Amino acid sequence: MIIKGKVWLFGDDVDTDQIYPGKYLPLTDKGEMATHAMEGADNGEDFIKHVKKGDIIVVGKNFGCGSSREHATVAIKGIGVSVVIAKSFARIFHRNAVNTGLPILELGQVEKIKKGDVLEVNIENGEIKNITQNKGYKAKPVSSLEMEIMKAGGLLQYLKQGIR
Amino acid sequence: MKTIIEKIFSRGAGKDVKPGDYVWVNLDLVAMRDFGGPNVIQEYESMFGEHPVFNKERVAITFDLHVPARNEKVAINQRLLRDFTARQGVRLFDINTGIGQHILLESGLVKPWDIIVGTDSHMNLLSAAGAAGFGMGTTDIAGAMYKGKLWFHVPKTIKIIIKGKLQKFVTAKDVILYILKYLKTDGALNRAIEFSGETIEKMNLSERITMTSMVTEMSGDIGFIQPNQEVIAFIKSRTEEKVETITSDPDAVYEKVHEFSVDSLKPQIACPHSPDNVKEVTEVSGTEVNQVFIGSCTNGRLEDLKSAAEILKGKIIKRGLRLIIVPATMEVAKLALKAGLYEIFLSSGAVVTNPGCALCTTGHPGILAPGEVMVSTSNRNFIGKLGKGAQVYLASPATAAATALTGVITDPREV
Ligand code: SF4
Repeated sequence: MIIKGKVWLFGDDVDTDQIYPGKYLPLTDKGEMATHAMEGADNGEDFIKHVKKGDIIVVGKNFGCGSSREHATVAIKGIGVSVVIAKSFARIFHRNAVNTGLPILELGQVEKIKKGDVLEVNIENGEIKNITQNKGYKAKPVSSLEMEIMKAGGLLQYLKQGIR
Repeated sequence: MKTIIEKIFSRGAGKDVKPGDYVWVNLDLVAMRDFGGPNVIQEYESMFGEHPVFNKERVAITFDLHVPARNEKVAINQRLLRDFTARQGVRLFDINTGIGQHILLESGLVKPWDIIVGTDSHMNLLSAAGAAGFGMGTTDIAGAMYKGKLWFHVPKTIKIIIKGKLQKFVTAKDVILYILKYLKTDGALNRAIEFSGETIEKMNLSERITMTSMVTEMSGDIGFIQPNQEVIAFIKSRTEEKVETITSDPDAVYEKVHEFSVDSLKPQIACPHSPDNVKEVTEVSGTEVNQVFIGSCTNGRLEDLKSAAEILKGKIIKRGLRLIIVPATMEVAKLALKAGLYEIFLSSGAVVTNPGCALCTTGHPGILAPGEVMVSTSNRNFIGKLGKGAQVYLASPATAAATALTGVITDPREV
């Protein structure tokens, strides 16, 4: 799966309250959830106003720390983000992303990527081309078990198909 | 040569596992709550319809966050869960019970070796009873409820040894805040922790819960304490099932070992807006405070309330300050009533509300106005969690109670 999109940058340790503020937790409509993606983060409002379908979020370490709210991955996916690239992810966010089919990749050299860069990302093998800077990076490939789940369309589809 | 988590996952997977493996394991209990739970049900039913859950005895719904329902939306969500319970016959703990994890413990649904998943990020405190608890998102929980198994990435384990005798008014909360100061909020990212050492061995169940609950704040998957006799006796008194203790092998391999000595540890406090922004209480003493909250899954048990009562007894809180005290569960509330703690709290000017999570997060009455300051015994002080522009400090029940008396952040050894 190859994805091409423009980069939005956020920092280290962006927690789930920044990704999806607690006051919207009672919402159950996915479309409504999406309109609050990244609302609590620095530049969150700018992001919500101007993000386009297919855009890419690039962040530092421990992205998605905090609560177990899946609203976080659902909102990011819902607003049209095609992949999140981080130095590292918090465990629950990582799981939620795999289980809901939001592509994620771990990349050591995230700091090389600038806001507005256009990237071409191969989710399967982790190859990332920075078209703007004419550079290439290699992210850690996703485990085969996780790839199977993502390919099935998420955990529930995977389980329903009786693969497990 | 396995650590506790490696042993538990090996048993759950039915084969030998090692750190780094991705494995499917069988689950002993699947829990959800009034927040998150409704999303789980929607996911479950939209995918699996009326399909019965994997085992109705092993699915539990707890109401603890927005109890009693604070608005119509929440009331509808709670209704949805009650209706699901009626259809599927799973266990329900309604608004008169308390914080989910504590309810599961008190109801005998948790024992060493168990693998338990739930929708709260602090499920890991069940490791205070030797069980592996994991907080998860709605899709995981819906899948778990359907199949009774989930995939896991087996973490490496970090060992933390704690030695020394705590001084009066220095508590498990001060110990874990002190560790957070060094390990930081990502110090245990994707890792398990094992706490050990003489200080830990002596801790009672409440203190163990305080320690293990805050492993979440270090981004750890889970933090174990090998159950002692008291903990095993507590569990045995509540279940008919066989209770086996759990230990790591003497030659288990740890990624790192940290050692802390706490003989001269002073009361600690996490300053806004991060649980690892930890200072000694005396470094910020004198800071004006508008509200104090004593409760949460980290510090809402009887021993925590007793520690606060010891300081509040016969005294009146500072005029203008609000003190809100919330027992973790109804069982704790009843024991506190028997022990005369309600008399002390109410006479001091505190507001005592019904058991639940209360001011751990927004959504409960009592949030702060912009610029207001709260000292809380909960586990998180992220920006915006309790009102835009509010300043939250995390401390022990003793420090919180001392602060309530003076109206400024106060070292409990000074009142
Ligand atoms: S008190 Fe807070 S952290 Fe603990 S279970 Fe409740 S909401 Fe979760």
